[in-house]
Amino acid sequence: MGGVPVAAGSWRRRVFGEEGLVRYVFLLPAAFMVLCFAVPVGLTLVWSVFKRTQFWMEPGLTLFAYETFFTSARAENFAYAMVHAAIAVVVSFLLGFPIAVFVRRRVPVSIQHRVILLFILPFMISELIRVFALRPVLARHGLVNEFLLQLGVIDEPISAILFTPLGVIIGDVMSFLPFMVFSGFLAMEAVQRYVFEVCDDLGAGALHTFKDVILPLAAPGIFAGSVFIFVNGLGVGLIPNILGGPGAVNAGSIVFESIVALDFPLAMAISAIMIVTLVALLWIGHWLFDLTRVLEPIS
Amino acid sequence: MLQDYRNPWLYRGMWVYLLLLVGALLLPVFYTIYISFNEHGFGAQIYDFTWDWYRVMLGNTQIIDSLRWTLGLGAATVAIAVPMGLIAAKHYKRTRHKLVLVTLMLAPLFVPADILGSALLVYFKNLNRACNWLADTLGLEWIRTWFELGFGTALVGQVLWTVPYAFIVILITMSRYHAQQTEAARSCGATGWQAFWRVEFPQIRVGVASASAFVFILSFNEYTRTNLLKGGFDTFTTVLISHMFNTGMSEDSYAMAGTVSVISMLVVGGVLVWSLARVERLEREARAAATPLGSA
Repeated sequence: MGGVPVAAGSWRRRVFGEEGLVRYVFLLPAAFMVLCFAVPVGLTLVWSVFKRTQFWMEPGLTLFAYETFFTSARAENFAYAMVHAAIAVVVSFLLGFPIAVFVRRRVPVSIQHRVILLFILPFMISELIRVFALRPVLARHGLVNEFLLQLGVIDEPISAILFTPLGVIIGDVMSFLPFMVFSGFLAMEAVQRYVFEVCDDLGAGALHTFKDVILPLAAPGIFAGSVFIFVNGLGVGLIPNILGGPGAVNAGSIVFESIVALDFPLAMAISAIMIVTLVALLWIGHWLFDLTRVLEPIS
Repeated sequence: MLQDYRNPWLYRGMWVYLLLLVGALLLPVFYTIYISFNEHGFGAQIYDFTWDWYRVMLGNTQIIDSLRWTLGLGAATVAIAVPMGLIAAKHYKRTRHKLVLVTLMLAPLFVPADILGSALLVYFKNLNRACNWLADTLGLEWIRTWFELGFGTALVGQVLWTVPYAFIVILITMSRYHAQQTEAARSCGATGWQAFWRVEFPQIRVGVASASAFVFILSFNEYTRTNLLKGGFDTFTTVLISHMFNTGMSEDSYAMAGTVSVISMLVVGGVLVWSLARVERLEREARAAATPLGSA
């Protein structure tokens, strides 16, 4: 395809010219996101107060779905899922963030991106497969137990790591850890390297440098990564389904089960609670740390 | 090579830790592939190499059929999400409302699959009812099936899931492009399109190509949204999950999981190697061009 020759006064000018219709093409992605993302997500709030009918729902104004949610075991399970997701966030931070700092501080600039790209590989293999693949690894006669038995570290297989809350947390960490590395690194990228040299020259200790220099500078990235892991740990229903054993649920799996049970208002109520939680978290984060700083290196 | 000379062991230790962590993240996948080649399946004491489980898989018409749907859906998702990400990235560079645009484009990343999938399901069901009503009352038969669950609705779910990645990857590549080149092209008389297609696009082509590969892989691997929105057909991952939940983890599910992982790794690995090799070549050329006359 070559350029479009623009003759004065032609229809081509009206379509392809500088002020032609073609400039509206740039609005298409935003329009698509509004129509297919923002509107349905926002409407969950409206649908959540609709009346449930046998197979569908009808317009109305009732808090019945919320009542069902808060007065059943679902609310309690939701709270447990929140705790598990929060633990997964902390573990991912402890395991993943030092890598972001290390790569930015100590690894030659020319290969920094390549090292971070190593974490793309596990991330690009289906989450489904990675979660599913944890079963044979964590099972009673799985890889971890067999290995520990061979080493003589344990006498009998550990059964606490699969079909338990611990299994769910392991699944969350294994699924979302790369995100902490990415967003941590992105935030660290905005920090000039000489900052670390200054710290070294001034004789600041490792802990001091970390607490007073790295943490405040990387806060937006850490926060963005944490919200991502928290919300997905809470919302990806497959992880408790596959690794959590009987009765293990989170917001995602409760929503899915409500859809299967044709209780659409309930599904929408839980979705709405999730969306409101997410928006509140992002808003607080933006207010505290100005999340746009995460995107500075690319804009 | 820059090293931490004060504490070389800490430096080496961190490298070991980093590689171990990547290894640990990949370990379950490799273990699954390993099991998929064992004649006796998972948990057996003996290991006999076999292709049988893959043969069983390939002999299953349901699986082959689902593979066709998966590839079709993947191709369609690439065809929509990548141009959309490119246009949005171009728009991002010029708009004054950067924060609004970037929030809109990246927000789907933060909404978990089950939540977004259910919201879209109820949305499409409502639209479908509206279309049916219009078809009944106004006789507009041609709009009756617009929002029926099927390929189109699954496609919307997948585009929403993949477009943030396409947007970010292309935006990162674009940030290395110097806009003065567009200005130079324009002042030499090129139209906006010519300046984009002949000057800018060749320089961001790598980003567009990697975005396409990533979008394809993400689409190929997606399960939750597709499962909620797909209507009648099945994709590779939905078949795999229904196998897993209905019949437990039979040996051919290991073969299916192995297939998905190997395809993902080949595509992603291929793109990484290709783009790194390209960077390497460009740097070499730049160094050669920068060598002062007579010094070589």
